[in-house]
Amino acid sequence: MDEFVVYEEDQEAIDRELRWFLDNSGAKCALLVHKSGQLIAKQGFTHHLATDELAALAAGAYAATKQIAALLGEAEFSVLFHQGEREHINFSLLDERTILLAIFDDRTSVGMVRLAAGQVAGRLRPVLERIATRRVADEQVIRATPRGDLFAPEQT
Amino acid sequence: MASVNYAQKEISCKIVYYGCAMCGKTTNLEHIHQAVPARDKGQLVSLATETDRTLFFDFLPLEVETIGGFTTKFQLYTVPGQVFYNATRKLVLRGVDGIVFVADSQWDRAKDNVGSFRNLEENLAEYGYHLDSIPYVLQYNKRDLDPVMPEHYLEYTLNNRPKRVLAFQSVAPRGDGVFETLNAACKLVLAKLRQE
Repeated sequence: MDEFVVYEEDQEAIDRELRWFLDNSGAKCALLVHKSGQLIAKQGFTHHLATDELAALAAGAYAATKQIAALLGEAEFSVLFHQGEREHINFSLLDERTILLAIFDDRTSVGMVRLAAGQVAGRLRPVLERIATRRVADEQVIRATPRGDLFAPEQT
Repeated sequence: MASVNYAQKEISCKIVYYGCAMCGKTTNLEHIHQAVPARDKGQLVSLATETDRTLFFDFLPLEVETIGGFTTKFQLYTVPGQVFYNATRKLVLRGVDGIVFVADSQWDRAKDNVGSFRNLEENLAEYGYHLDSIPYVLQYNKRDLDPVMPEHYLEYTLNNRPKRVLAFQSVAPRGDGVFETLNAACKLVLAKLRQE
Protein backbone atom coordinates (compact mmCIF):
# COMPACT_ATOMS: atom_id res chain seq x y z
CA MET A 1 0.00 0.00 0.00
CA ASP A 2 1.21 3.50 -0.77
CA GLU A 3 -0.74 5.52 1.76
CA PHE A 4 0.51 6.78 5.09
CA VAL A 5 -1.14 8.52 8.01
CA VAL A 6 0.99 10.72 10.25
CA TYR A 7 -0.11 11.87 13.70
CA GLU A 8 1.61 14.57 15.73
CA GLU A 9 3.63 12.13 17.81
CA ASP A 10 4.86 10.48 14.59
CA GLN A 11 5.85 13.84 13.14
CA GLU A 12 7.72 14.73 16.31
CA ALA A 13 9.56 11.41 16.27
CA ILE A 14 10.46 11.73 12.61
CA ASP A 15 11.62 15.33 12.96
CA ARG A 16 13.70 14.41 16.00
CA GLU A 17 15.44 11.56 14.16
CA LEU A 18 16.06 13.70 11.08
CA ARG A 19 17.67 16.35 13.30
CA TRP A 20 19.80 13.58 14.84
CA PHE A 21 20.78 12.53 11.34
CA LEU A 22 21.79 16.07 10.39
CA ASP A 23 23.84 16.49 13.58
CA ASN A 24 25.68 13.22 13.00
CA SER A 25 26.13 13.36 9.24
CA GLY A 26 26.96 17.01 8.72
CA ALA A 27 24.40 17.18 5.90
CA LYS A 28 22.69 20.51 5.17
CA CYS A 29 19.20 19.09 4.90
CA ALA A 30 17.32 15.82 4.89
CA LEU A 31 14.07 14.86 3.22
CA LEU A 32 12.06 11.76 3.97
CA VAL A 33 10.29 10.73 0.77
CA HIS A 34 7.74 8.04 0.08
CA LYS A 35 8.44 5.94 -2.99
CA SER A 36 5.17 7.21 -4.51
CA GLY A 37 6.77 10.66 -4.65
CA GLN A 38 5.16 12.24 -1.61
CA LEU A 39 7.22 14.20 0.86
CA ILE A 40 6.80 12.86 4.41
CA ALA A 41 9.11 15.22 6.33
CA LYS A 42 12.02 17.58 5.93
CA GLN A 43 14.62 19.10 8.24
CA GLY A 44 17.55 21.44 7.88
CA PHE A 45 18.20 24.18 5.37
CA THR A 46 15.31 23.61 2.94
CA HIS A 47 13.92 27.10 2.42
CA HIS A 48 15.60 27.48 -0.95
CA LEU A 49 14.43 24.10 -2.18
CA ALA A 50 11.28 23.17 -4.06
CA THR A 51 10.84 20.17 -1.80
CA ASP A 52 7.63 18.76 -3.31
CA GLU A 53 9.22 18.76 -6.72
CA LEU A 54 12.45 17.29 -5.35
CA ALA A 55 10.54 14.47 -3.66
CA ALA A 56 8.69 13.60 -6.88
CA LEU A 57 11.87 13.66 -8.94
CA ALA A 58 13.79 11.63 -6.37
CA ALA A 59 11.11 8.96 -6.29
CA GLY A 60 11.06 8.89 -10.08
CA ALA A 61 14.83 8.61 -10.26
CA TYR A 62 14.82 5.87 -7.66
CA ALA A 63 12.11 3.95 -9.50
CA ALA A 64 14.05 4.22 -12.75
CA THR A 65 17.24 2.90 -11.19
CA LYS A 66 15.30 0.06 -9.63
CA GLN A 67 14.51 -1.11 -13.15
CA ILE A 68 18.20 -0.85 -14.02
CA ALA A 69 18.97 -2.96 -10.96
CA ALA A 70 16.47 -5.57 -12.12
CA LEU A 71 18.26 -5.82 -15.46
CA LEU A 72 21.44 -6.59 -13.52
CA GLY A 73 19.75 -9.23 -11.42
CA GLU A 74 19.54 -7.07 -8.30
CA ALA A 75 16.32 -6.40 -6.35
CA GLU A 76 17.17 -2.70 -6.15
CA PHE A 77 20.02 -0.37 -5.30
CA SER A 78 19.83 0.65 -1.66
CA VAL A 79 22.04 3.70 -2.11
CA LEU A 80 22.40 6.29 -4.87
CA PHE A 81 24.83 9.16 -4.87
CA HIS A 82 25.17 12.17 -7.16
CA GLN A 83 28.16 14.47 -6.90
CA GLY A 84 27.97 18.11 -7.94
CA GLU A 85 30.55 20.87 -7.96
CA ARG A 86 29.47 22.25 -4.61
CA GLU A 87 26.47 20.24 -3.47
CA HIS A 88 25.87 16.53 -3.48
CA ILE A 89 22.88 14.32 -2.83
CA ASN A 90 22.69 10.86 -1.36
CA PHE A 91 19.62 8.59 -1.55
CA SER A 92 19.32 5.89 1.09
CA LEU A 93 16.57 3.32 1.14
CA LEU A 94 15.33 3.17 4.74
CA ASP A 95 12.68 0.50 4.26
CA GLU A 96 10.57 -0.88 1.41
CA ARG A 97 8.59 2.35 1.13
CA THR A 98 10.83 5.20 2.22
CA ILE A 99 13.86 7.01 0.88
CA LEU A 100 16.08 9.41 2.82
CA LEU A 101 17.55 12.22 0.74
CA ALA A 102 20.55 13.98 2.21
CA ILE A 103 21.96 17.11 0.61
CA PHE A 104 25.45 18.00 1.71
CA ASP A 105 28.60 19.83 0.67
CA ASP A 106 32.30 19.28 1.14
CA ARG A 107 32.15 20.05 4.85
CA THR A 108 31.26 16.40 5.32
CA SER A 109 31.78 13.22 3.36
CA VAL A 110 29.53 10.73 1.64
CA GLY A 111 30.87 8.12 4.04
CA MET A 112 29.65 10.07 7.08
CA VAL A 113 26.29 10.62 5.44
CA ARG A 114 25.87 6.93 4.65
CA LEU A 115 26.98 5.88 8.11
CA ALA A 116 24.43 8.16 9.74
CA ALA A 117 21.75 7.10 7.26
CA GLY A 118 22.30 3.48 8.16
CA GLN A 119 21.93 4.29 11.83
CA VAL A 120 18.85 6.48 11.43
CA ALA A 121 17.14 3.76 9.42
CA GLY A 122 16.94 1.61 12.52
CA ARG A 123 15.82 4.52 14.67
CA LEU A 124 13.02 5.44 12.24
CA ARG A 125 11.82 1.94 11.47
CA PRO A 126 9.12 1.71 14.19
CA VAL A 127 7.50 5.02 13.29
CA LEU A 128 7.71 4.35 9.55
CA GLU A 129 5.95 1.03 10.09
CA ARG A 130 3.30 2.74 12.18
CA ILE A 131 2.47 5.43 9.64
CA ALA A 132 2.37 2.92 6.79
CA THR A 133 -0.05 0.53 8.48
CA ARG A 134 -2.42 3.05 10.03
CA ARG A 135 -5.65 3.79 8.16
CA VAL A 136 -7.58 7.06 7.91
CA ALA A 137 -10.60 7.06 10.20
CA ASP A 138 -10.93 10.62 11.31
CA GLU A 139 -14.29 12.30 10.79
CA GLN A 140 -12.73 15.67 10.20
CA VAL A 141 -10.75 14.42 7.25
CA ILE A 142 -13.56 12.30 5.94
CA ARG A 143 -15.71 15.40 5.70
CA ALA A 144 -13.03 17.37 3.84
CA THR A 145 -15.00 17.62 0.61
CA PRO A 146 -15.38 21.17 -0.68
CA ARG A 147 -18.51 22.47 -2.32
CA GLY A 148 -17.16 24.93 -4.87
CA ASP A 149 -14.44 24.61 -7.48
CA LEU A 150 -11.06 23.82 -6.00
CA PHE A 151 -9.03 25.50 -8.70
CA ALA A 152 -9.71 28.32 -11.11
CA PRO A 153 -7.67 30.56 -13.37
CA GLU A 154 -6.24 33.62 -11.66
CA GLN A 155 -8.36 36.67 -12.37
CA THR A 156 -6.32 39.48 -13.96
CA MET B 1 -3.02 6.27 -2.31
CA ALA B 2 -4.05 9.43 -0.48
CA SER B 3 -2.05 10.17 2.64
CA VAL B 4 -2.92 12.26 5.67
CA ASN B 5 -0.58 14.16 7.95
CA TYR B 6 -2.46 15.33 11.04
CA ALA B 7 0.56 17.11 12.44
CA GLN B 8 0.90 19.35 9.40
CA LYS B 9 -2.82 19.18 8.54
CA GLU B 10 -2.17 17.99 5.02
CA ILE B 11 -3.83 15.51 2.72
CA SER B 12 -1.81 14.40 -0.30
CA CYS B 13 -3.36 12.93 -3.42
CA LYS B 14 -1.82 11.85 -6.72
CA ILE B 15 -3.62 12.42 -10.01
CA VAL B 16 -2.20 11.05 -13.23
CA TYR B 17 -3.02 12.36 -16.69
CA TYR B 18 -2.98 9.39 -19.03
CA GLY B 19 -3.51 9.02 -22.76
CA CYS B 20 -1.87 8.32 -26.08
CA ALA B 21 1.06 10.29 -27.41
CA MET B 22 0.43 13.95 -28.25
CA CYS B 23 -3.13 13.92 -26.94
CA GLY B 24 -2.64 16.97 -24.73
CA LYS B 25 -1.62 15.69 -21.30
CA THR B 26 1.34 18.03 -20.94
CA THR B 27 -0.64 20.89 -22.45
CA ASN B 28 -3.22 20.45 -19.70
CA LEU B 29 -0.57 20.81 -17.01
CA GLU B 30 1.08 23.71 -18.78
CA HIS B 31 -2.21 25.59 -18.91
CA ILE B 32 -2.99 24.82 -15.27
CA HIS B 33 0.45 25.99 -14.22
CA GLN B 34 0.13 29.19 -16.20
CA ALA B 35 -3.36 30.00 -14.96
CA VAL B 36 -3.41 28.98 -11.28
CA PRO B 37 -2.45 31.69 -8.76
CA ALA B 38 1.11 31.46 -7.46
CA ARG B 39 -0.02 30.72 -3.90
CA ASP B 40 -1.70 27.50 -5.03
CA LYS B 41 1.03 25.97 -7.15
CA GLY B 42 4.63 24.84 -7.19
CA GLN B 43 6.99 24.51 -10.10
CA LEU B 44 6.08 22.60 -13.22
CA VAL B 45 8.75 19.95 -13.68
CA SER B 46 9.00 18.41 -17.12
CA LEU B 47 11.33 15.54 -17.91
CA ALA B 48 11.23 15.72 -21.67
CA THR B 49 13.29 15.08 -24.76
CA GLU B 50 14.88 17.85 -26.78
CA THR B 51 11.79 17.87 -28.97
CA ASP B 52 9.54 18.40 -25.94
CA ARG B 53 8.13 14.91 -25.92
CA THR B 54 7.56 13.69 -22.36
CA LEU B 55 10.37 11.29 -21.52
CA PHE B 56 9.55 10.32 -17.96
CA PHE B 57 6.82 12.51 -16.50
CA ASP B 58 5.63 16.05 -15.93
CA PHE B 59 4.88 17.02 -12.37
CA LEU B 60 2.90 19.93 -10.97
CA PRO B 61 2.04 20.29 -7.29
CA LEU B 62 -1.13 22.18 -6.41
CA GLU B 63 -2.57 22.87 -3.02
CA VAL B 64 -5.83 24.18 -1.70
CA GLU B 65 -7.34 24.60 1.72
CA THR B 66 -10.31 22.32 2.23
CA ILE B 67 -12.71 21.99 5.10
CA GLY B 68 -11.41 21.70 8.64
CA GLY B 69 -8.24 23.67 8.04
CA PHE B 70 -6.57 20.86 6.15
CA THR B 71 -4.45 21.71 3.14
CA THR B 72 -4.99 19.25 0.35
CA LYS B 73 -2.07 18.78 -1.99
CA PHE B 74 -2.84 17.45 -5.42
CA GLN B 75 0.21 16.13 -7.20
CA LEU B 76 -0.49 16.13 -10.91
CA TYR B 77 1.57 13.84 -13.09
CA THR B 78 1.54 13.07 -16.78
CA VAL B 79 2.91 9.92 -18.36
CA PRO B 80 4.81 9.64 -21.63
CA GLY B 81 2.33 8.60 -24.26
CA GLN B 82 4.58 6.91 -26.80
CA VAL B 83 4.08 3.17 -26.90
CA PHE B 84 7.66 2.18 -26.07
CA TYR B 85 7.60 4.06 -22.78
CA ASN B 86 5.26 1.58 -21.12
CA ALA B 87 7.70 0.70 -18.34
CA THR B 88 7.85 4.37 -17.39
CA ARG B 89 4.08 4.73 -17.42
CA LYS B 90 3.86 1.88 -14.93
CA LEU B 91 6.28 3.62 -12.59
CA VAL B 92 4.30 6.86 -12.66
CA LEU B 93 1.04 5.05 -11.88
CA ARG B 94 2.33 3.83 -8.53
CA GLY B 95 0.20 5.20 -5.71
CA VAL B 96 -2.32 6.85 -8.04
CA ASP B 97 -5.47 8.26 -6.43
CA GLY B 98 -7.23 9.64 -9.49
CA ILE B 99 -6.87 9.57 -13.25
CA VAL B 100 -7.67 11.99 -16.04
CA PHE B 101 -7.78 10.06 -19.29
CA VAL B 102 -7.13 12.46 -22.15
CA ALA B 103 -8.40 11.37 -25.55
CA ASP B 104 -7.43 12.91 -28.86
CA SER B 105 -10.66 13.71 -30.69
CA GLN B 106 -9.20 13.36 -34.18
CA TRP B 107 -10.54 10.46 -36.22
CA ASP B 108 -7.13 9.00 -36.98
CA ARG B 109 -6.36 8.71 -33.23
CA ALA B 110 -9.40 6.59 -32.40
CA LYS B 111 -7.42 3.37 -32.30
CA ASP B 112 -4.64 4.98 -30.26
CA ASN B 113 -7.15 6.21 -27.69
CA VAL B 114 -8.59 2.74 -27.21
CA GLY B 115 -5.13 1.19 -27.10
CA SER B 116 -4.01 3.65 -24.45
CA PHE B 117 -7.14 3.02 -22.38
CA ARG B 118 -6.52 -0.71 -22.45
CA ASN B 119 -2.89 -0.09 -21.58
CA LEU B 120 -4.02 1.91 -18.56
CA GLU B 121 -6.16 -0.98 -17.35
CA GLU B 122 -3.29 -3.44 -17.83
CA ASN B 123 -0.79 -1.28 -15.98
CA LEU B 124 -3.20 -0.71 -13.10
CA ALA B 125 -3.80 -4.44 -12.86
CA GLU B 126 -0.08 -4.99 -12.28
CA TYR B 127 -0.47 -3.05 -9.04
CA GLY B 128 -3.66 -4.89 -8.15
CA TYR B 129 -5.82 -1.89 -9.00
CA HIS B 130 -9.01 -1.99 -11.02
CA LEU B 131 -10.06 1.05 -13.00
CA ASP B 132 -13.59 0.88 -11.63
CA SER B 133 -12.25 1.36 -8.10
CA ILE B 134 -10.16 4.43 -8.94
CA PRO B 135 -11.81 7.81 -9.48
CA TYR B 136 -11.31 8.89 -13.07
CA VAL B 137 -12.73 11.26 -15.63
CA LEU B 138 -12.46 11.46 -19.39
CA GLN B 139 -11.36 14.48 -21.36
CA TYR B 140 -12.10 14.67 -25.07
CA ASN B 141 -9.41 17.09 -26.19
CA LYS B 142 -8.70 18.93 -29.44
CA ARG B 143 -12.36 19.72 -30.06
CA ASP B 144 -11.27 22.73 -32.11
CA LEU B 145 -9.74 20.63 -34.87
CA ASP B 146 -11.64 19.51 -37.96
CA PRO B 147 -12.77 16.85 -38.46
CA VAL B 148 -13.16 15.34 -35.01
CA MET B 149 -15.11 12.40 -33.72
CA PRO B 150 -18.51 13.38 -32.39
CA GLU B 151 -18.85 13.18 -28.65
CA HIS B 152 -21.25 10.26 -28.75
CA TYR B 153 -18.68 8.24 -30.69
CA LEU B 154 -15.99 8.95 -28.12
CA GLU B 155 -18.48 8.01 -25.42
CA TYR B 156 -19.15 4.74 -27.24
CA THR B 157 -15.47 3.85 -27.57
CA LEU B 158 -14.25 4.97 -24.15
CA ASN B 159 -17.20 5.30 -21.79
CA ASN B 160 -19.34 2.35 -22.79
CA ARG B 161 -18.91 0.48 -19.49
CA PRO B 162 -21.22 -0.57 -16.65
CA LYS B 163 -19.79 2.34 -14.69
CA ARG B 164 -19.87 5.46 -16.83
CA VAL B 165 -17.82 8.43 -15.75
CA LEU B 166 -17.86 12.16 -16.26
CA ALA B 167 -16.49 13.33 -19.59
CA PHE B 168 -15.45 16.83 -20.58
CA GLN B 169 -14.77 18.36 -23.96
CA SER B 170 -11.66 20.46 -24.13
CA VAL B 171 -9.27 22.56 -26.13
CA ALA B 172 -6.27 22.39 -23.83
CA PRO B 173 -4.08 25.13 -25.37
CA ARG B 174 -6.92 27.62 -24.82
CA GLY B 175 -7.79 26.18 -21.42
CA ASP B 176 -11.30 25.20 -22.49
CA GLY B 177 -12.44 22.34 -20.29
CA VAL B 178 -9.10 22.08 -18.48
CA PHE B 179 -10.22 23.33 -15.08
CA GLU B 180 -13.59 21.61 -15.33
CA THR B 181 -11.73 18.34 -15.80
CA LEU B 182 -9.24 19.03 -13.02
CA ASN B 183 -11.87 20.07 -10.49
CA ALA B 184 -14.03 17.04 -11.23
CA ALA B 185 -11.10 14.67 -10.80
CA CYS B 186 -10.01 16.33 -7.54
CA LYS B 187 -13.50 16.22 -6.05
CA LEU B 188 -13.92 12.57 -6.98
CA VAL B 189 -10.64 11.75 -5.25
CA LEU B 190 -11.72 13.56 -2.08
CA ALA B 191 -15.13 11.89 -2.20
CA LYS B 192 -13.46 8.49 -2.43
CA LEU B 193 -11.34 9.33 0.59
CA ARG B 194 -14.53 10.15 2.44
CA GLN B 195 -16.13 6.85 1.45
CA GLU B 196 -13.16 4.89 2.68
